[in-house]
Amino acid sequence: MTDASAIRPGIRASLMTPDTRTRRRNAAEARFRLYGRIAIAIGLAALVVLMGSVLANGLGSFRQSFLTLEVHLDEKVLDKSGARDPEAMKKVTTIGYGKIVDAALKATIAAEGIVVEGLTDKDVSDMISKEAAALVRNRVLADPALVGQTVAFKVLANGRIDGYLKGRVTMDSAERDSNVSPRQLELADALVARGILAKSFNAGFITGPDASELRPEAAGMGIAILGSAYMMLVVLFLSLPIGVAASIYLEEFAPKNRFTDLIEVNISNLAAVPSIVFGILGLAIFINFAHLPQSAPVVGGLVLTLMTLPTVIISTRAALRAVPPSIRDAALGIGASKMQAIFHHVLPLAAPGILTGMIIGLAQALGETAPLLLIGMVAFVRDYPGGLFDPATALPVQVYNWTQRADPAFVERASGAIIVLMVFLLAMNMAAIVLRRRFERRW
Amino acid sequence: MDDMRLTERALDAGTTKIMARGVQVFYGDTHALRDVDVDILDRTVTAFIGPSGCGKSTFLRCLNRMNDTIPVCRVEGTITLDGEDIYDRRVDPVQLRAKVGMVFQKPNPFPKSIYDNVAYGPRIHGLTRNKAELDGVVEQSLRRAALWNEVKDRLHAPGTGLSGGQQQRLCIARAIATSPEVLLMDEPCSALDPIATAQVEELIDELRANFSVVIVTHSMQQAARVSQRTAFFHLGNLVEYGETGQIFTTPRDPRTESYISGRIG
Amino acid sequence: MTEQHILRAFDRDLEAIQAQLMKMGGLVETAILEAASALEGRDDDLAEKVRQGDKAIDALEERINEEVARLIALRSPAATDLRMVLSVMKIAGSLERIGDYAKNMAKRTVVLGKMPTIGSAGGSLRRMAKAVVSMLSDALDAHVQRDADLARDVLNRDREVDQMYNALFREFLTHMMEDPRNITPCMHLHFIAKNVERMGDHATTIAEQVIYLVTGVLPDEDRPKSESVTTIGVEGGAA
Repeated sequence: MTDASAIRPGIRASLMTPDTRTRRRNAAEARFRLYGRIAIAIGLAALVVLMGSVLANGLGSFRQSFLTLEVHLDEKVLDKSGARDPEAMKKVTTIGYGKIVDAALKATIAAEGIVVEGLTDKDVSDMISKEAAALVRNRVLADPALVGQTVAFKVLANGRIDGYLKGRVTMDSAERDSNVSPRQLELADALVARGILAKSFNAGFITGPDASELRPEAAGMGIAILGSAYMMLVVLFLSLPIGVAASIYLEEFAPKNRFTDLIEVNISNLAAVPSIVFGILGLAIFINFAHLPQSAPVVGGLVLTLMTLPTVIISTRAALRAVPPSIRDAALGIGASKMQAIFHHVLPLAAPGILTGMIIGLAQALGETAPLLLIGMVAFVRDYPGGLFDPATALPVQVYNWTQRADPAFVERASGAIIVLMVFLLAMNMAAIVLRRRFERRW
Repeated sequence: MDDMRLTERALDAGTTKIMARGVQVFYGDTHALRDVDVDILDRTVTAFIGPSGCGKSTFLRCLNRMNDTIPVCRVEGTITLDGEDIYDRRVDPVQLRAKVGMVFQKPNPFPKSIYDNVAYGPRIHGLTRNKAELDGVVEQSLRRAALWNEVKDRLHAPGTGLSGGQQQRLCIARAIATSPEVLLMDEPCSALDPIATAQVEELIDELRANFSVVIVTHSMQQAARVSQRTAFFHLGNLVEYGETGQIFTTPRDPRTESYISGRIG
Repeated sequence: MTEQHILRAFDRDLEAIQAQLMKMGGLVETAILEAASALEGRDDDLAEKVRQGDKAIDALEERINEEVARLIALRSPAATDLRMVLSVMKIAGSLERIGDYAKNMAKRTVVLGKMPTIGSAGGSLRRMAKAVVSMLSDALDAHVQRDADLARDVLNRDREVDQMYNALFREFLTHMMEDPRNITPCMHLHFIAKNVERMGDHATTIAEQVIYLVTGVLPDEDRPKSESVTTIGVEGGAA
């Protein structure tokens, strides 16, 4: 006892004045609370910085600069025969359409009376994205009757012009850039003033396919989202039944012996294996051995299933164990068989926990990149996958891909894709929470 | 007017429902129960008392083979229900438990509606042919459990929403819905307040008219109140078994005397 | 008791005990009246019947004590129930004593039958016995009905019995002084009178137990006493 006065008989301290020991204890508690608050503040700050930078970089990608042009679809260029035969019209390439679009922009500039010193034809045609010609061509081929008319088109502006409107490109940087000239920026200013060049919501970013290095303005993540969705389907339909069946057997039926202990330890270890290892496994087994197609969502899904299974099994077993034994006893006590007790009572009670584990596993799989790189999901894919065996890519891989590219416009794209990825993850976690709240029952 | 007590004590003339001879129970290397011989009578409440860990719950769980669910548990000796050995290899414990129902320490209704709780047993055993019959069984069971009047207007409300005492009576209703012959109760009132306890005790006394009831209890007073026969277990041995009034006024074994007078625990 | 116990078996037990007590009370009342009749009518057969009947009363007291012990052990009664059980035990003891007095009365009746009669003593004793029986039956009714007022009334009526005893005491003294041959029967009759007076005291004890049962407190001891024979002689006797 350091504080002898407290136990000295005869002298009784007043309750109104705390003794030294109490003061010290209270001070220690106050300090600990402070540490806790600091720790939480650091965590929050990190989150705010991360989210802030991603949002600041990426939100721009959802709005894109468009030129609104009155394009005269010249019959002489587009359909020399005049028969409006789609097969014949397909012979006209995008280059032909590009000329028409360029001409439309030039006509607009002339009509609006915009004069920019030293403006060349190339400068004018470079204002428009290379994607614009393909857009017009697709519209015309879909509806040949348009030929010969003047139709209003909203076409993508060039990535640099878009960058200028978003502040990424300035007059100074344009001086040093071979891809864009200050004259074009002046023209852009004039077009913006007349409402011809403006930013609007870019649906193509979410639904469209990826584009080449030269046209970041046209790049979209539609294929990546589709590819990820296919993989999640594969993961859901494989790892849920396999994982739940394995967990129920291990938890409720399997005898407790060395062998099951070994399995248990291995499942825990499997959950800690680096994901790239699963990628190597997938490459060896599914592609080199089973000869499944590369870049296919089915292979990605299988690899991610392998990776998710331990998570699902561990969380399912935890959910099963959390069901109070009294429920099992109750069912057995009135003569239910073990199977009936589990399927009628234990499983419904464990369902919220199992679903939560499954969703968390899915979210983990959705954000996984490394194993997908190894099985070729990193390939450049322009065509939407029609099924599980068609080449596709995945959201996190798309992010990785875009960050590798030189044009700074792709940084914005990558951040935009991260936002979409995070919205999906957030939605899944919310779903997990809602499910748990909704179905959690008191017992 | 002549002497109602005598009619209640004359129950010893009842027939033997469960007979246990030389029952030994082992948990792994632990010898949990030694040489238990007990005759449990039909239409009688039999109480098992004794300090914690004396083996009374273990013995209770032997009677409907709930011990089977514990992998390390081993039972020797014979236990017969109406003359049939329940540990015979041909006996399916699931079938046995339909005849020997069990009510547990903590009220454990399924997180389903009151109706479904009671209807579960009859459903899985296929005891009823149609909805009307099932409704009848549910009502009768709830009535017997003295719960019908309290819940008849909310049969489809969750069973977990009832009070503790009601939940325990629901569990009893659930157990008797399968028309068991014996009802085992493992400290059915330990989680209940005194009033709920009294209600459950009154219910047990009424159930005696139809079932053989075996109750494990920590409360000697409860054993005294509800049972006609009492068995005292101590350190894995059955020390004394006899008429409850005799056990509580003139026990024959000094260990019983010490226990019921609060000298050993 | 208006409200029932949740555990109805408890009610059945309490009722059974009460019923046995009433049965015992009935036997005792009959014994007193029959003993008094036998005395007045010099009926040896009736006296013998009373003597034999006491065995049943003793057996019943033993049974009640057993039941009470059992009820305390099994049901742990509290409050009113506890007072009820305790009062039953004491009342059973009092009834047993009254039964013994009746038996003693019957015994002396057989002896007195061979002696001359002493005035109207037999009739007086029978009236006294009747008064005691009415007290006893009212006390027992008060017990069944938990009626403290009726019990208090019984307490007050003890004075009448005491006065009857005083009168008889003086009468016996007179007879003994008149003729020494009367001393033996008078002594027997005096013991009988004293026993009947003691029966009255036991009846008041029962009434006191009823008050305790109903209110939870025993009544004060200063109830009216008129048994003044203890002072006869000190003041010069019945001159």
